[in-house]
Amino acid sequence: MGSEEPRTNFLRKFVEFYQTHEIAKPLIPLLLLIAASVALAPHYFLAPMNIKVILMQTTPLALIATGEMLAILMAGIDLSVGSTQAATAMLAAIITKSTGNLGLAVAVAIALGTLVGAINGTLVTKLKIYSFVATLAGLVIWRSFVIIVSGGRLIYGLSEYSVFLNDYGTYIPMGFLLALAVIIGVYLLMTKTTFGRYIYGIGSNEEAVRLAGVRADLVKFLAFTLAGALYGLGGVMLIAMGGFAVDPWSAQGNELNAIASCVIGGIALTGGTGHPLGPLLGAAILTILTNILVLLGVTELATQQIFVGIVLIAAAASLTRGLRYVK
Amino acid sequence: MEIGRGSSTTALSPQITEKDQVLLLAKDIVKKFPGVVAVNHVTYDLKAGEIHGLLGQNGAGKSTLLKVLYGIHRPDHGELYVYGRKVFFKSPRDAREHGIILVHQEVTLMPHLTALENIALLGFMWRKWGARFKKTKFKLYIEDILSKFGIELDLDAKVRDLSVAEKMLVQVATALSMDARILLLDEPTSPMSPKEVERLFDAMKRLKARNLGIAFVTHRVNEALEICDRITVLRNGFKVGTVESRNIDAHELVKMMLGREASEVYMVRDFSDIDKVLARTREEVPLIELRNIVTKPQSPVEVPLKNVSVKVYRGEIVAVFGLVGAGKTELGKTLIGLTKVVSGEIRYMERRVKIKSPADALRLGIMYLPEDRRSEGLIPGFTVVANMDISSLKEYTKWFMVIDRRKEEAAGNDMVKKLNIVTPSLYVKVPKLSGGNQQKVLVARAMLTKARLVIFDEPTIGIDVGAKAEIRRLIYRYSREQGVSVLLLTSEVDEALGLADRIYVMRDGRILGEFINKNLDRDTVLKVLVYGK
Repeated sequence: MGSEEPRTNFLRKFVEFYQTHEIAKPLIPLLLLIAASVALAPHYFLAPMNIKVILMQTTPLALIATGEMLAILMAGIDLSVGSTQAATAMLAAIITKSTGNLGLAVAVAIALGTLVGAINGTLVTKLKIYSFVATLAGLVIWRSFVIIVSGGRLIYGLSEYSVFLNDYGTYIPMGFLLALAVIIGVYLLMTKTTFGRYIYGIGSNEEAVRLAGVRADLVKFLAFTLAGALYGLGGVMLIAMGGFAVDPWSAQGNELNAIASCVIGGIALTGGTGHPLGPLLGAAILTILTNILVLLGVTELATQQIFVGIVLIAAAASLTRGLRYVK
Repeated sequence: MEIGRGSSTTALSPQITEKDQVLLLAKDIVKKFPGVVAVNHVTYDLKAGEIHGLLGQNGAGKSTLLKVLYGIHRPDHGELYVYGRKVFFKSPRDAREHGIILVHQEVTLMPHLTALENIALLGFMWRKWGARFKKTKFKLYIEDILSKFGIELDLDAKVRDLSVAEKMLVQVATALSMDARILLLDEPTSPMSPKEVERLFDAMKRLKARNLGIAFVTHRVNEALEICDRITVLRNGFKVGTVESRNIDAHELVKMMLGREASEVYMVRDFSDIDKVLARTREEVPLIELRNIVTKPQSPVEVPLKNVSVKVYRGEIVAVFGLVGAGKTELGKTLIGLTKVVSGEIRYMERRVKIKSPADALRLGIMYLPEDRRSEGLIPGFTVVANMDISSLKEYTKWFMVIDRRKEEAAGNDMVKKLNIVTPSLYVKVPKLSGGNQQKVLVARAMLTKARLVIFDEPTIGIDVGAKAEIRRLIYRYSREQGVSVLLLTSEVDEALGLADRIYVMRDGRILGEFINKNLDRDTVLKVLVYGK
């Protein structure tokens, strides 16, 4: 690094910002990606409707990625994301269909997500099952739950959920604003409170945190529970942003998208480092990347995924720079 | 295909070694780490047909020296000679090329493979990628070596099923299969039972008879006396001296190992107030009392406590003195609920209590500061101030759990001033500080909790002399000014004598004696440690 001294004052400041602010890891690539997208397809990309689509698609992903972040910051992982999201969405859909009460449906969805998170937390802290394994079991169990309660059928026509798409002429959907508010809430929780401090501590050196007299198991339980609640809200947004329909296999593989958003957002898988708004930006990067590929005519999913994979590799490599080795 | 390396490649490891030929010479070695000189101008030599012990306490520099000999660390100063030739080791690979093998403290084998596969892959097949694995031929070759050295091993057993001593022998066999002439054994006996130790020693004697040179690192005085021909004693990175083991006894050796610090470094207390403190032990009930505690170890390295009874009164500084492996850490961890107590009881102000976790202990006002700062004490991702107040974070909140940054900063600044912590700011990450200052951060952590009993486990290990004196003074002043009880777990007799009101002596999980630190003679304490009662 010594040989490539930044030549100008501006560059030096830029490098310093990049090195001292964790948010820079996803923020700078996001800005570059937006700039590139504008340059490549200005008329399509900047069209208000396209921006609304990007915000809509970012919303559920940003919510589950923020939940996933809680697990990853503690050097754990949560693989139950996609199935939980589908389960909550399916339950919400069924309740909406049978009662027509949107508020009740949303509340139950979030409650189910919270319950799933609490179960994950209990498995990890009480039965001492690695979070990878405990949530892998959740991944299959909750998907089966969806298939059973739905009878394998698609539920559609859930037009009540259009309230989340209202934009009152601003092209910013209400659902996105709601998610943003929740994510900012999590950000404040992570940076301003004892709870957030303990989560970062557990990821950095759990043994020391325990010896310091912190009830680490309680913190872990609460973190997984909160993550579950976020998946529940993510499930609701899935209905709203996904054409007012839920099918038994929706949100499949979303745990991988959530993890990718975290990694791109600068949350190291070794735990303890990363900015709480990183997953939101990571989710935005993934969404915009797919969006611009579609606008450029790359409509085949498989080809898109190759680009996503390449971005993931680049992001992961930048996260572990300076480490001697990784596993 | 040729097997074995001495016959094929290098002229640097000649096959014939005569007795007393110097195999390895490390001259004037210096190795520095941030904040501490781990090895300080040490000269060490190893002859053919001898076992040369390296004896010292934790942090004496013996493992670091061994790592220099094996090419893991590069020395900042000094020279290495193998068979009289000057060498530079860039990595362990170079050391192995010269016939030097380090047998690790933590066994570094592949547990799911057989002994034979381990010996072959890590030994004579090392770096021969893509060669065929000729099982029958290899087995004959290894059996031949083993019988030559009189080592018994079941080659087809999976390594995970072997005992600790057998695993060590697999590592030794690995070295022998490469024609290594120099073995570096890094505390091989610490996880072993006495029977296993005997087995290893038997093997070592046979290797010695075959003119191998063995460097044997240990902190156990009796083992060093039993097996070594010569013993080099290290303390705080310095070489105290090299002695012939037949000319010295355990008592003398312990004295060398513990050394004698300059009195201004360790004598941080005055004795004018000792009567007042001791009077409380007659008038009051003990703050905390362990009664006949027996524990069951949860891992092979944990020392079981055998009928341990210890009392600590209000405002008193009690030292538990014992060498490494005496069970001091286990005693401390019993008080924070981290050992498995089979019988006996813990009493807090006469009331029987169950302590299940460090959080439980903290609620009673008991705080433990671990010996291993890096892995158990500090949170590397945290800033200096966050490391200080992690145990007392609830004190610095407003509205339920929002951290009050201003209050936090004020407390942090107060501690930096009081403890004279050298740091560019409260908000740098704690690994940037030197060892002594990191330790002070932990002391600050205890002070901020307003605990009633603080357990300091080896608070001055691995830090430089100046910081040592400072931290001892801080502990003394803190206890006296705040009326906090201190339980000091230490392997340095001077630290106990210079700081404590009462001293317990501990060995092998037992309390051997209790002294009131008043006109107490250093030798009296050491004699109890060496000879028991």
